[in-house]
Amino acid sequence: MIVADPKPFLQVKGYLEDFQKILVVGCGTCTTVCLSGGEAEVQILASGLRIAFGKDGRKKTILEECIQRQCDLEFVEPVLSRVESENIDAVVSLACGVGVNFLADRLGKTPIFPGLDTTFYGANVEQGLWAEMCAGCGSCIIAHTGGICPVARCSKHLLNGPCGGSEKGRCEVDPANIECVWQLIYDRLKRLGRLEDLRHLLPAKDWSTASDGGVRRSTREQLYDI
Amino acid sequence: MPMDKSSPGFLNTIAGDALPTCSAACPVHTDTREYVQRVSMGDYEGALDILLEVNPFPSVCGRICHHPCESHCRRAAIDEAVSLRMIKRFIVENTRQYRIARRKKAVQVSKDKSAAVIGGGPSGLTAAMDLALRGYKVKVYEKDSKLGGMLAHAIPRYRLPPEALAEDIEDILATGIEVHSGCTVGQDISFEQLKKDNDAVLIAVGLAESHSLPIPGTSGKGVFLGVTFLWDVANGLCPELGKRTLVIGGGNVAIDIARAAKRLGPEKVYMACLESRDEMPAWKWEIDEAEEEGIEILNSWGPKEILEKDGAVTGVRFRRCSSVFDAQHRFSPTYDDSETNTVAVDSVILGIGQKANLDFLAGSAVSVNGGRLICDRESMGTSEPGIFACGEVMTGPGSAIQAVSTGHDAAKVVSHYLETGKLLKLPNKKVLDIGELPAVTAANARHFDRVCVELSDPAERIKDFSPIEPVYTEEEALSESRRCLSCATGAHLQFPNHCAGCLTCVRICPFGVAQVRRTAFMPPQQCQTCGLCAAECPAFAIDTLRFPTSAMKTAVEDSVSALDPGRIARPFLISYCCVNGTTSRKYLGEQSAEEIMESGILRVLVPCVGRLSMADLISPFELGADKVAVVSCPEDGCYYPRVESWLDRRIKRTQKYLDQIGVGGENLQLFNMEGSGDESWPRIWEKFRAVNLETAVGNL
Ligand SMILES: Cc1cc2nc3c(=O)[nH]c(=O)nc-3n(C[C@H](O)[C@H](O)[C@H](O)COP(=O)(O)OP(=O)(O)OC[C@H]3O[C@@H](n4cnc5c(N)ncnc54)[C@H](O)[C@@H]3O)c2cc1C
Ligand code: SF4
Ligand code: SF4
Ligand code: SF4
Ligand code: SF4
Repeated sequence: MIVADPKPFLQVKGYLEDFQKILVVGCGTCTTVCLSGGEAEVQILASGLRIAFGKDGRKKTILEECIQRQCDLEFVEPVLSRVESENIDAVVSLACGVGVNFLADRLGKTPIFPGLDTTFYGANVEQGLWAEMCAGCGSCIIAHTGGICPVARCSKHLLNGPCGGSEKGRCEVDPANIECVWQLIYDRLKRLGRLEDLRHLLPAKDWSTASDGGVRRSTREQLYDI
Repeated sequence: MPMDKSSPGFLNTIAGDALPTCSAACPVHTDTREYVQRVSMGDYEGALDILLEVNPFPSVCGRICHHPCESHCRRAAIDEAVSLRMIKRFIVENTRQYRIARRKKAVQVSKDKSAAVIGGGPSGLTAAMDLALRGYKVKVYEKDSKLGGMLAHAIPRYRLPPEALAEDIEDILATGIEVHSGCTVGQDISFEQLKKDNDAVLIAVGLAESHSLPIPGTSGKGVFLGVTFLWDVANGLCPELGKRTLVIGGGNVAIDIARAAKRLGPEKVYMACLESRDEMPAWKWEIDEAEEEGIEILNSWGPKEILEKDGAVTGVRFRRCSSVFDAQHRFSPTYDDSETNTVAVDSVILGIGQKANLDFLAGSAVSVNGGRLICDRESMGTSEPGIFACGEVMTGPGSAIQAVSTGHDAAKVVSHYLETGKLLKLPNKKVLDIGELPAVTAANARHFDRVCVELSDPAERIKDFSPIEPVYTEEEALSESRRCLSCATGAHLQFPNHCAGCLTCVRICPFGVAQVRRTAFMPPQQCQTCGLCAAECPAFAIDTLRFPTSAMKTAVEDSVSALDPGRIARPFLISYCCVNGTTSRKYLGEQSAEEIMESGILRVLVPCVGRLSMADLISPFELGADKVAVVSCPEDGCYYPRVESWLDRRIKRTQKYLDQIGVGGENLQLFNMEGSGDESWPRIWEKFRAVNLETAVGNL
């Protein structure tokens, strides 16, 4: 899933100084699961904004809403109509950047601001801790690396590692928090009895399937004319 | 600000029709959990309302009920059952004025049919009351001068003082039933007459006579029948006992006889019974108390003969009873005549069982077989149309609350008959319960000792018939009420569509209860209602039935909206306090707006502050509070494991956030109370309010 972290409060407040009627919209999918953009965070941010603007002596109307996903039209439509019908001046989205974009494309003249910093595709490795696992490169290579991704999990994105900064299984970039993915790959291939695979160096990667190839789209022929 | 006083009828929503085991086991299905919860919130009057809904004898039951509720309390899987009878007694003894005030005026007779009830014991009075409430004219015929049946003239005063019985009876009589006491049916008025004068007759004569023994010597001077003996004792006619008295029988009645006898002064009181110690039908606690009083129990002896000299008792000869029950567990004693024993005594009291006196039915069409009234248990009808029976005459020996239960049933069948002329078959009364507390859940729960009272010193208590058991103090009652797990009123997925399956609830639940299968699921039988999951759910998808977490914010809003912001003493403190810390009603009562404004303190009582979400911690500031205190139990005193550490993290995060939004994190503080809330809360409030911090949102 997509992981996102709350933006510093004052930054979000800063976006909203000039607006009177503000809608905070949460997302019931990824950012609910990573505890940064669900119903609870919507209430917390909205409450915080009311209090903070109140302290400045500026009473604003802060409205709340949380929808199932901000990246699907049918879910988003009621928000769009609400913005229209209630004359909302600005929207804060607590979805990942996808949701913010998706709404921005459809919001006409109403500004929208991100309430979160979207960080990565990751997994919940421990309660309250998420770690990056995939970078969405568009042509997956991990069949060769024991299912462990060096693109996302190597600080230097090395396709043939490790580098000299690997020490006792940790990555020199932040030894306390980052494991050397090439150590993990090595250990895993060893367990699989496939250490030999490491002798076949991975060729230089074609990054055109990643964002370097331009904005990407994905289609399903059974539903869409290609 | 106490919340959650209403009875929300939880079970229909989360555990189907299943009752908590306590209520299921109670013959009248008292909503145990609800009255105990009301006590825990200081609402003793509301608790009495719950008791009286189904039981016209709460004062009696508070003293002498054999409390099947307690025997089935699920807390026993953790440590010990909740002391429900003692809580009940506390309620009735602390709501006397209220009980008189709530008493309704006599019900107007609205139907043109009438019923006669023979017998003013608990079953007859319950039925009479119910029928009167349904608008029928009801007359109760009682042979004794006092109402209450065995409660009035058998159960000794040291267990059930007459004042307690009187409280219940006054309430019942207030419904307007007509009582003819001192009127023996069959002597003072004939059964035929009752039939002629009424459209239905209910026989509720109980088991008023003692069985005798088919052995030589039972008619000698110094041999007493148990019920007669107890009647005399209850009525202040002290039967003359010799120095050494022996009671034959091993049940609760025999124990009452022996303990009553002991109080009349004999040097030695024995009990002798066929049963071995473990087989004795008396309750264990009764046996223990009897022994404490110096009564010696002779087990596994069958009386062979009561020895006499010159017409006076000199002793009892016994033979060894080798077994009491056969393989099918039917009563079928066998003896070993080679082993005998003679106990020298000068009085013998027979407490081996009771039977009904049905002489008044002689010549009527109502069938009696071998001294037993023939009665269909489902319709409660006898062999004659329009004549019904309830109480022990129908069920055989039982308990007061069981007699009450049959009284309620009798009112149903009798009124059905009066309305339709037909018999009503009562549905099979099998009630569903929520089952025992699963061992895994119990293993995770913290232990809290049951609050026990000390009975009067045995050496002192045998000197007279004074009650031997003290009532709970308020502090004790509150503390015991909080041991109740409030079974099956816990967390549930209130908004299934909101659940993202994030697993937070699963991971945070200290009892291993919450599960996620696509969406979350908290088995109601297991949840302990700590509310942690509801507090941490990122979708606010969970609510708790008892003390709904979702209602917290609105409740605070409601209290604050009644205030005039300009008149609130500053700094305005909103204090969330764990209700479990209170030892009296001092802080449990409703606060007036005036009181809040004057003191600058609004209390919000929650059963465990661990259920406060971050939004709950912030919203008071939005509502105008300058400071927010969260006052939890004394350190390590929380009812739930691990709550303290989760709450601590939540508070720290909130403090940082408050710093960012300009409120100042130091205006939110977590306190552990020391000792009771009643003493330590005011100190905490005073100290916290005195800390000179810039007021937070004074101008909101
Ligand atoms: C010694 C003793 C101790 C007990 N202790 C407990 C206890 O601790 N806890 C508990 O729950 N239960 C206890 N019980 C049981 C409880 O008292 C009975 O279950 C209950 O009283 C039965 O109620 P009832 O209405 O069926 O009959 P009773 O209470 O027997 O009432 C029947 C009434 O009918 C009257 N009557 C009989 N014949 C006539 C007639 N011909 N005309 C007019 N009136 C008549 C009697 O005088 C009596 O008042 C005890 C019983 C005894 C004997
Ligand atoms: S190789 Fe690319 S697609 Fe595969 S896991 Fe790594 S970043 Fe994701
Ligand atoms: S813990 Fe409370 S609700 Fe549960 S069985 Fe015991 S008394 Fe009843
Ligand atoms: S914490 Fe809330 S959103 Fe997450 S699984 Fe449980 S109920 Fe669902
Ligand atoms: S966290 Fe507490 S309230 Fe939630 S399911 Fe577990 S025991 Fe019940």
